[in-house]
Amino acid sequence: MSEQATERKATVTTPAEREIHIERVFDAPRDRVFAAHTDPESIPKWWGPRGTTTIVEEMDAKTGGAWRFAMEDPENGRIVFRGIYREVTPPERIVQTFEWDGMPGYVSVETAEFEDLGDGRTRIVSTSVFHTIEERDGMIESGMERGLNETYSRLEELLAA
Amino acid sequence: MVQYQTVDKTLSALADPTRRGVLERLGRGGTATVSELAKPAGMSLTGMKKHLRVLEEAGLVATEKVGRTRHCSLGPKRLEDLQAWMDSYRSMLEERFDRLEELLERTKGDSR
Repeated sequence: MSEQATERKATVTTPAEREIHIERVFDAPRDRVFAAHTDPESIPKWWGPRGTTTIVEEMDAKTGGAWRFAMEDPENGRIVFRGIYREVTPPERIVQTFEWDGMPGYVSVETAEFEDLGDGRTRIVSTSVFHTIEERDGMIESGMERGLNETYSRLEELLAA
Repeated sequence: MVQYQTVDKTLSALADPTRRGVLERLGRGGTATVSELAKPAGMSLTGMKKHLRVLEEAGLVATEKVGRTRHCSLGPKRLEDLQAWMDSYRSMLEERFDRLEELLERTKGDSR
């Protein structure tokens, strides 16, 4: 794992371009904020964008478990997101992968750190890093130069499979 | 909310395998007519036009009428543009946290 991380660092010239970093303070104790992330009944209440219905199709919120959420809205039908929980450490940390077949070839790894601010509030530090599938699998080295054709040829392979 | 509409359009435009096939085809070959796109997809012209309209509204495909035929090419918003996907993703995350905040506020004082 650490070897893969080193390799990735070496191939990405500007890591910030592939990272989304969001911090937010919630006025609720850490246990509750964390539980909202691991309780399948809570997910539909907040996970999807407004106006959509989120259906938890699979959710095994422990290290190594899988998740699959379908997002539905009357106009546009159904979009499925899925991934694996790489680490679930209550009530501090969740690391999970995020994939969507509309963006084939890419996977993001979302890390959420839950900080107890000691006054009944909780800060979530969320970092999403985008990888190509190859980087995730640690199979081949892969740079930032991903042109149109390469992306589409991978899409083609995916559709042909 | 406004941001979300853009995300939503892109997401739903891409959610369909026929439409992804169109993008894949245009990504390889530059431009194609509606019938050139319809044929390999085993689809009527009307059906394909419907799909193209969705793609065009999302900015993923641009079409231009030349005489009696309509030529299609990739639009200003490129699917392969990781930046575009990341922008969508960011607004999705922001909205997700907005909703979480509201949920926690609503359930304040609950046992869990």
